[in-house]
Amino acid sequence: MTDASLKAVDERQDGVAEELATRPKIIGARVKRTEDPRLLTGKGAYVDDRKVAGMLHVAFRRSDHSHALIKSIDVSAARQAAGVVAVLTAEDMSEINAVFATSRMRDYHTTPITALASKKVRYVGEPIVGVVAKSRYLAEDALELIEVEFEPLPVVIDPETACLPSAAVLHDDAGTNVLCFREFKTGDADAAIASAPIRVSGRFRFYRKTPVAMENRTYLAEYEVGRDELTLYTSSQVPGIIRDALSDALDMPGSQLRVIAPDVGGGFGGKASLYPEEIFVAVAARRLGCAVKWTSDRMEDLAATSQGFDQIVNAELALDANGNAVALKADVIGDVGAYSIYPWTAVIEPVQVVSFLPGPYKIANYLGRVRGVATSKPPTGPYRGVGRPTSTFVTERLMDMAAQRLGMDPVALRLRNMIQPDEFPHRIGSGIIWDQCAFTECLNAACDKVDYPTLRARQAQARAAGRWFGIGVACYAELTGIGSRISVAPGMPINTGTETAKITIDSTGAVTAAFGVTAMGQGLETTLAQVVAEHLGGRVKDIRVIQGDSAAVPNATGSYASRSAVLAGGAATLAAKEVKDKIIRAASHLLETGPEDLVVEDGKVSVVGTDRALTFRQLARAVYLEMRRIPADKREELASTKTYDPVFGTSATAAHLAVVEINPDTLEIKLERFVVAEDCGRLINPMIVDGQVHGGVAQGIGAALYEEVVYNDEGQNVTASLVDYIIPTATEIPPIEVVHIEAASLTTLGGFRGMGEGGTIGAPAAVANAVADAVAPLGIDILELPVSPERLFRLIENSKQHKDATHGHET
Amino acid sequence: MKPPPFDYFAADSIEAAVQALADAGGDGKIIAGGQSLMPMLNFRLLRPSVLIDINRIPDLAYVRDDGECIRIGPLTRHRTLETSSLVAEQLPVLHEAMGYVAHLAIRNRGTIGGSLSHADPAAELPMMSLLLDARLEIQSLSGRRTIDARDFFLGALTTDLDEGEMLVEVRLTKLRKGTGWAFEEVARRSGDFALASVGITLSHDDGKISNVRIGLMGVGETPMRATDAESLLAGQPFSETVVTAAVDSIRRTVEPNTDLHASSDYRRHLVGVLAEQALSKAWQRATQAAHD
Ligand SMILES: Cc1cc2nc3c(=O)[nH]c(=O)nc-3n(C[C@H](O)[C@H](O)[C@H](O)COP(=O)(O)OP(=O)(O)OC[C@H]3O[C@@H](n4cnc5c(N)ncnc54)[C@H](O)[C@@H]3O)c2cc1C
Repeated sequence: MTDASLKAVDERQDGVAEELATRPKIIGARVKRTEDPRLLTGKGAYVDDRKVAGMLHVAFRRSDHSHALIKSIDVSAARQAAGVVAVLTAEDMSEINAVFATSRMRDYHTTPITALASKKVRYVGEPIVGVVAKSRYLAEDALELIEVEFEPLPVVIDPETACLPSAAVLHDDAGTNVLCFREFKTGDADAAIASAPIRVSGRFRFYRKTPVAMENRTYLAEYEVGRDELTLYTSSQVPGIIRDALSDALDMPGSQLRVIAPDVGGGFGGKASLYPEEIFVAVAARRLGCAVKWTSDRMEDLAATSQGFDQIVNAELALDANGNAVALKADVIGDVGAYSIYPWTAVIEPVQVVSFLPGPYKIANYLGRVRGVATSKPPTGPYRGVGRPTSTFVTERLMDMAAQRLGMDPVALRLRNMIQPDEFPHRIGSGIIWDQCAFTECLNAACDKVDYPTLRARQAQARAAGRWFGIGVACYAELTGIGSRISVAPGMPINTGTETAKITIDSTGAVTAAFGVTAMGQGLETTLAQVVAEHLGGRVKDIRVIQGDSAAVPNATGSYASRSAVLAGGAATLAAKEVKDKIIRAASHLLETGPEDLVVEDGKVSVVGTDRALTFRQLARAVYLEMRRIPADKREELASTKTYDPVFGTSATAAHLAVVEINPDTLEIKLERFVVAEDCGRLINPMIVDGQVHGGVAQGIGAALYEEVVYNDEGQNVTASLVDYIIPTATEIPPIEVVHIEAASLTTLGGFRGMGEGGTIGAPAAVANAVADAVAPLGIDILELPVSPERLFRLIENSKQHKDATHGHET
Repeated sequence: MKPPPFDYFAADSIEAAVQALADAGGDGKIIAGGQSLMPMLNFRLLRPSVLIDINRIPDLAYVRDDGECIRIGPLTRHRTLETSSLVAEQLPVLHEAMGYVAHLAIRNRGTIGGSLSHADPAAELPMMSLLLDARLEIQSLSGRRTIDARDFFLGALTTDLDEGEMLVEVRLTKLRKGTGWAFEEVARRSGDFALASVGITLSHDDGKISNVRIGLMGVGETPMRATDAESLLAGQPFSETVVTAAVDSIRRTVEPNTDLHASSDYRRHLVGVLAEQALSKAWQRATQAAHD
C-alpha cells in the first residue's frame, strides 16, 4: 500500500469520525426490521395468500418447442373439461395491444410483448394457451387436452452463430437477431495495445443464471364489474410501471387500474419487468368478470422468469512495463433471449457490461463493442448487479492476469491503477462519471481486515505443503440512485429518476408515509420509517410505510437499480421536514410559544426547558377535530407530498476479498473467508446494510460456483428444477465480514448512496480470482463462470494433456 | 406442477395394502415418505390410479436387534436410523452414511422402504444394503419372499419388486467386532445426491486385509460392490501398492454416467480418490480395533 493511499484512508476516516459525532440519531441506528415479526412468523401477506370468493385459477400451456410456427391450436376438448371456465388463445385476445420496450438508442430493434404467443413460439416455456378453471388442478388436467401443432424452425441457441447472416431470425420485423449494437471509444485502444509491452487477454464467459426468488411470481386480478375497475395484485418490484403498461395494453385509464405489490418474497430483478402472465390475468378477469389468479410453480419460474448474464467477452488489457494500464479493449456478445424485455429493453444487461468494464481504473484508451443477440431462450432482464457482475469479473480477472505476468502483487497493481481520492470526479472510457468513489479506501480496508501480508505468507506456507490455497480481490463501483438525467437502462425513454413521498398525520395523530417504491424483502419499511422519524421527530414504530401501490402516489415506478434508499430517502427527508414545519406552526399557536422554543422528538412537540408538550395525537386532534382551537385561516393539513430527483445520482463502491481452498483430490472448492469493504454513503441502518451485503454475496457465490441455466441443442432447459439448477444454501456460504467506509455522498440528499446490488457484483470476480490464484501453480486460468469442480477437472485434464503434448510447457 | 387425479387409500395393515395393490391391477402406488414419489407425481411423470398410504399401518417403523442382524421396518424414517443408538453401535458405517442423506426436513419424512424401492443409483441406503448384505422381506397377495439386496437392484429406479409387492422388512447384517469401516462421499452441496461415494468394511487379520467389502454408488446404473478390487485386497498386507491396484481396478470397472453435475471421467476420478481415502480410514480403524 502506498503512503498516499494510506493517508487518504486516514483523512477519510477522520471525516467520518467527525461526522459520526454530529450524526443524526435514528438514521444510522441498528433498528431491528419492523417487518420481520410479520414475515418471520408466517403472517406476511403475499399475493398467493390472498383469496377472494369465486376466484378462478390459471394454468398455461407453454411451448415445448424452442423455435417453431404454430400451425393450429385445438382447445375444444379442454373447453369441455371439468371445472374449466375459459380457454383463451392469442386469437381470443386480439383487442389487447402489444407492449413494446422502446429505446432512444440507434441500432436497436424492439419486439412485441403479448399475453400469449401467436403464430410463432420463440422459447420453450412461452405461454400459448391460458386455461381458466375452478382450481389449478383442474386447469392443469385440461392442459393435457389441448392439441398444438407446431412446425419446427431452426433452433437459435448459440449467440455467436445467431449473429451470422445465415442464422434463422427470431423476429422477422427486426430482420436480424442482433437487437442492439453499441460502441464506446476513448483514445486509440488498438494503437496503445499494439505498442504496449504487457498484454493479457481472454475469452471470458459468464453463463446464464436465473434469479430464483423464494416466492415465485404470482398475479391476482380482481375486477369490479359495476365500475369497470381492475386491481392487479402482483409480486412485482415495479407495480407503477406495470400499471402504466396495462393502461396501454388494455386501453384503460389509470383511475380504473390499480396495481398493488403486497409483501413480495424476493425479486433480484426477476420481478422488475412486465410479464405475459400479468397481462393475461388482467384480461381474463375483465373478460370473465371475476377474480383470476396465476401462481407460478418452480418449473415455470425456471422456464419463464427473466434470466441474467449470459455474455461472452473477448477482452484485452495492455499495460506499460511498470504496470500502468494503458488500454482496454472488449467485444461483448450478450445472449438476450427471445424478447426485448419491458421496460428495460434487451440493451440493459449487455450494454451495461461495456459501460462498466473500465471500472475503478484509469485507462486512457478504451474500445468497447457490444451486441445484444436474440436467441430462442427466455428473455434475460435486469438481474441484481446488471451487467456489472460480468464487467467486474472480466476486468478483475485481467488485472490478476496482468499482475501475474508482471510478477506484481495484485493489490499493489490495483492501487497503482485506481482513480485516487483526489482525482474525482473522473470520467472513464465508456463515458461514465464517478462522482467520489472510495476505491483505494475500500481495497485498503478489505486488506487490513484480513492482514493481507500475513495472509499471503500463510498462502506461501500452504502452497509449500501442496495445498491449493487462493486469495482473490475484486473492486468495482456502480451507479446508484440514478436521477432524471440518466436512463437506468441505456436509451430507455422512461424516467425513473424521481420519487415521491406523501407523509400524512391524520386526525388520530398517526403518521403514514406513502412511496412509489416496493420492498421485496430489503427492509424498506424500516429504513424509510427511520428517515421519516429522523426528520419529522417521530418514532420509528409509529410510522406506517405504504409502498408497492400504484395508487399511493401519482408516479410510482418501484424498486430496482439500488435507488430506493437514495430517492425515497430523499423524498422522505423533504416531505418530513415540511410536515415538521407544520407541526411547529400549529404547536406554536396551541402552546403560545415561539417556534424557536419548540422541539419535535419521539412523536411529541415540547417547549424547550418545560414539561409543556403535545403528543402528535393531541396536536392532530386540536388541528383537525377540536373546534376553534386554531383559527380557520391558520389551520394547515399536517401533510406534505414531495418529489425528489437527484438529477444525476451517485455511486457506491466496494472491494471484495475471498479466500478459498481447493481439495486437490476431489476438487471441491471451499470458501474459507469472505470480506467486503463497502461504501454506500451514509448508513441508514447498518444491520440492514449488512444483510443486503450478505444476501448479495451469497448470490454472487452462487453465480461463481453453482448456478447455471443450461439449454441443450434442442433449446430445452435441462436445469428445470432445483435439483439441477443448484443454488448455494447456508452450508455453502462462509461467514461474511463487512467493513463500512461511510463516505457520505455529496450529491444526494442525506448522503445515501444505495447498495442493494453490490454484493452480487463483486463476489463472482473475487471468487474467480481466488480460485484462479489457488490453481495458478498449475498454469490454469479461470475464464468461465460458474467454475464447478467439473469445469476445474476438465481444465486440469486439458492442461495435463497440453503439457504432455508440449513436453513441459512454460507455466 | 399439480399431480394428475388419483384415488387415495389409507391402508391399516400390510394385508390391506397389498390387497389394494392387487385391486389396482398394477396401477397402484404405495406412498411412504412421499419425498421421491410426490415430485414425480407433480411432474406428472407417474399416473397411478390409486395412492396406497402405508403411514397409518401400525408397527411398520422399528429398528430391532435380532442377534446376527438388525431388523428395520420399511416405514422407518431416515432420521430415526441416523439417530438410533443401535445403528450407531452395530452399524457405524450406516450411521455415518445417514448424515449424507438429503436435508433434515427430508430425512424426517423419507423412509428406508421408500429409498430402497425407489432405487436411486446415487442414494445411500441402496448402497448400504449391498454393503451390509441386506435381506429384504417382500409381501404380496400370494405371500412372502426374501431376496438378497445384491439381486434386488436391476437398474436406475428399477428393482425386482413386482407391481403387487410391498417391501415389509429390511435385515442388515451386523458388523463383526473389530470391523474397520469408512464412508466417503462427494456431492455438489451438502445434502445433494452423491456424485460418487464409497463405503467400506474390512477386518485386520494378523496384518492382512480380510472380509473386505466395498460398496460404490453414483458411478453406475445401480449401487454396486467392487468385487474385483475386493479380491485384489483380500489376504494382502495393507500397502500403497495393493491400494493403488484396488483403486485402479475400481476406476477400470465403473461406467459412470455423464450428467449436468459431473462427467463420467470426473466421477471415475472421484470414486478412486474416495476409495483410496476410505480404504486407509477403514484399515486404520480395523488396526486400532485389532490392537484394543
Ligand atoms: C431434495 C431432495 C434431496 C434428496 N437427497 C437424497 C440423498 O442425498 N440421498 C438419498 O438417499 N435420498 C435423497 N432423497 C430421497 C429421499 O431419501 C427419499 O426419502 C427416498 O428416496 C424415498 O423415500 P420415501 O419414503 O419418501 O418414499 P416415497 O417417495 O413415498 O416412495 C418412493 C417410491 O417407493 C415406493 N415405496 C415406498 N415404500 C414402499 C414399500 N414399503 N414397498 C414398496 N414400495 C414402496 C413408492 O411407491 C414410490 O415408488 C432426496 C429427496 C429430495 C426431495
